[in-house]
Amino acid sequence: MWPRLFAKVRSPRGSLPCSRGTPGRCGRLTAQQNLSTGGPLRNDFFKELEQHLAGMRKKAAGALTGSSWGSLRGNPDLPPKRADVVIVGGGVMGWSIAYWLKQKEMVQGGLQIVVVERDLTYSKASTVLSAGGIRQQFSLPENIHLSLASADFIRNINEHLGVLGEDPVDLQFNHSGYLFLASEKAAHIMEQNYNTQRQAGAKVALLSPSQLKEKFPWVNTEDVALASHGLENEGWFDPWTLLNAFRRKAISMGVIQCCGEVTDFKYTINVMMTADGERLDVRRINHVKVQMPNSLEYQPVECALVVNAAGAFSGKLAEMLGIGLGSKGSIAGVPFPVEPRKRYVYVVHCPDGPGLDTPFLVDFSGVYFRREGLGGNYITGVSPEEGEEPDTGNLEVDHQFFEDKIWPRLAHRVPAFEKLKVASGWAGFYDYNTLDQNAIIGTHPLIGNMYFASGFSGHGLQHSPAAGRAVAELIVDGNFKTLDLRRLGFNRVLMEEPVLEKNIV
Amino acid sequence: MLKVLFPTIMLLPLTWLCPQKKLWSLTLLYSLMISFLSLLWLKMPLQTNWTHLNLYMATDHLSTPLLVLTCWLLPLMIIASQNHMSQEPINRQRTFILLLTSLQIFLILAFSATEMIMFYVMFEATLIPTLFIITRWGNQTERLNAGTYFLFYTLAGSLPLLVALLLLQNSVGTLSLLTLQFTNPLPLSSYADKIWWTGCLLAFLVKMPLYGTHLWLPKAHVEAPIAGSMILAAVLLKLGGYGMMRIMLMLEPLTKELSYPFIILALWGVIMTSSICLRQTDLKSLIAYSSVSHMGLVAAAILIQTPWSFTGALILMIAHGLTSSALFCLANTNYERTHSRTMVLARGLQMVLPIMTTWWFLASLANLALPPLPNLMGEIMIVTSLFNWSPWTLLLTGLGMLITAGYSLYMFLMTQRGPIPNHIISLNPTHTREHLLITLHLIPLLLLILKPELIWGWTA
Repeated sequence: MWPRLFAKVRSPRGSLPCSRGTPGRCGRLTAQQNLSTGGPLRNDFFKELEQHLAGMRKKAAGALTGSSWGSLRGNPDLPPKRADVVIVGGGVMGWSIAYWLKQKEMVQGGLQIVVVERDLTYSKASTVLSAGGIRQQFSLPENIHLSLASADFIRNINEHLGVLGEDPVDLQFNHSGYLFLASEKAAHIMEQNYNTQRQAGAKVALLSPSQLKEKFPWVNTEDVALASHGLENEGWFDPWTLLNAFRRKAISMGVIQCCGEVTDFKYTINVMMTADGERLDVRRINHVKVQMPNSLEYQPVECALVVNAAGAFSGKLAEMLGIGLGSKGSIAGVPFPVEPRKRYVYVVHCPDGPGLDTPFLVDFSGVYFRREGLGGNYITGVSPEEGEEPDTGNLEVDHQFFEDKIWPRLAHRVPAFEKLKVASGWAGFYDYNTLDQNAIIGTHPLIGNMYFASGFSGHGLQHSPAAGRAVAELIVDGNFKTLDLRRLGFNRVLMEEPVLEKNIV
Repeated sequence: MLKVLFPTIMLLPLTWLCPQKKLWSLTLLYSLMISFLSLLWLKMPLQTNWTHLNLYMATDHLSTPLLVLTCWLLPLMIIASQNHMSQEPINRQRTFILLLTSLQIFLILAFSATEMIMFYVMFEATLIPTLFIITRWGNQTERLNAGTYFLFYTLAGSLPLLVALLLLQNSVGTLSLLTLQFTNPLPLSSYADKIWWTGCLLAFLVKMPLYGTHLWLPKAHVEAPIAGSMILAAVLLKLGGYGMMRIMLMLEPLTKELSYPFIILALWGVIMTSSICLRQTDLKSLIAYSSVSHMGLVAAAILIQTPWSFTGALILMIAHGLTSSALFCLANTNYERTHSRTMVLARGLQMVLPIMTTWWFLASLANLALPPLPNLMGEIMIVTSLFNWSPWTLLLTGLGMLITAGYSLYMFLMTQRGPIPNHIISLNPTHTREHLLITLHLIPLLLLILKPELIWGWTA
């Protein structure tokens, strides 16, 4: 879309229709006129070649007499009738999996992949509403390894996601690091985590309160016992750019994008008996019913595999296959433990706030903030208490929440923030894993050919490159190869053995 | 002759009128009975070339094995299609079986034709049911493209054949195969006669297919439903070989020089298409290219026209027909379970379906020409006769056999061995029908080891 905007302005023919004296056409042309001031100075023939050719084809089709075959072709927006892998959910996780699957297919054109996304404006998607941070300061080694691998990926992103002939990817990765603060009672946990992180290869440094005050003089170190600062591979980046980079590269490799909603599955059921005599219905998905937006038209896509990357809504998708709808105590009765949880992010403006080297600060009360841009803006938020979860029916922002829960603690921690103004705010969903707030990657015992990759609970964006690679390895190689994520499989949900992550923001 | 043809024709009203519940079982049993009747043709006294002779049709050593193969294939196609057709409305099911049966009729008439024009008309007539089967019951949108390629490649090749046959009729006076062999050799010296020679052969070379004109085959095989793939691979390709063997009588002495480019193309095609097989991700596409590879050997053998090469070509045609059809059926069992033809998504099947692995193993071994199977008999005779014709062909044929072994084993190991992906753990167990289907392919192949004289052609 962007090149066409620029092209329209520079073409000299743009002024001719106006001079023909047809006011309607003139009016339409000014409406199309681009108001952007940053256009390219020259016509790039090769960049606009695609548009020229498409325009020529359209003109030719219009010039020739209408063909009766035209109406028989049907809706071109429908997904293909069959595909090898259908990825439900076009967020960063879905597109990452699509990219890695194409990367790992051994021959060009080996796997036919369709990514189904119901809202291409991504108005409710967790990816683009994320704060965009990446950190290795987790307590679970798997999470640390996932973040390290993803950081390595996004540092070399143009090697991976660069497309020939297109602009290079610029994620605006600010390497400022995360700064976690710990109180007296939690300091020993921070030390344990520090050891785990160092062992896993993360570059983290522990700071005493005086060292902290020296490094970041704007922090109030009153009740801080220990601080942990990530020195490398930590910071924040632009999630929208990463999503589009994955999407552009995957589409250039042949993945088909479909705008539609998965409403149902067609599956066959195999009835099996366990050794204890319990009856199990193992389902095998044959078709995915994709419904077109604002329409009753749907297309059953015949597929071999389905990947559930639907994020906050993956629990609903799993319910379509009967997960969680069985009797209590049976395997089918265990629901997929991912549900959407609303989180607010507020943009505040504070001209006297901390400077450029501000890390992503996370206080022990849960309040976090980070610098946004170069104009004295910061984004801040906090995870609500367990009992005070906001309603997930909409994405409305509650500004009272900022006044009550965030501002006091923020001002306590950074005195400069006593004078700030809330510029705006937004809300997004965490795909919250109610069991242990960690990802669920793998298959479900009762569904033969569905892979899950959700439940990241707020750290999906930063894990997306490595998690996408892990799922692609599961599918193509049969097992995890680079990172062993077997502990993050579905079995722990069935056994009710949570693999807890102690450092959830 | 008529004892097989009339029942096959009467299968058409049966298909349309029988009760719905009994459609598949009745047609299956009826076509099995027809195929057992067709076994009577195998009694071929050597002294008279033509047996079961009537005014228009006859069988001889060349056409009998192909006729029996054709009749054998109809029940197999019905068994293979039963599962995926069960979801369709009853009239479409009837139409499908009707198309298969009409294809059978045309093929019987083609192989038993004593007159070249009748052969030509039946050759063209087989295109129509096949086109319907590919375009109506194929799985993907590319099937329209595949049907177009299939139809127009074959038509473009065979229209010159019509003209050439009519010219032949004008100059010789007859096109009856019984008398053509006794005519004087034609004085073929002018440039136009060279074009006539090409016109006679082009249709069959496109059908075989020869390497340069083979583009229709992978598309048609991949997009066709299982019954379409089976009949295409097993019999329709052999129509080209059979036609070439028949028409070669009349093409001397030009063949001595003009056949060179086609022999080279055929042998080069063996190597090229086998190498392409090593890079395929789609299982059916792999088997389709392997068909082109084997038929390249057959084409080269027919073009050098020695008794051994004809024998080898005929044996390889029959053996390849059974093997290729068996491989397509195996690929279809995979497809019906995983809904994907991509090899990388369905691996390690030995752990899940072990008996099916045995059939995969036997079919892959047959494909790579393991002794004592007739595939090897055919290939050895072809390679030896080509070597006798020119020692340099050994490089090409030897390399071709090596790469054939390579991709056959690659196909076997890729689908059967290795770790099972997580999404194939619960598959439907193999139905008895599928076991029956594959064994009905492999048992004739194994029995032919014991009496290969049946498919040797005229060589005693």
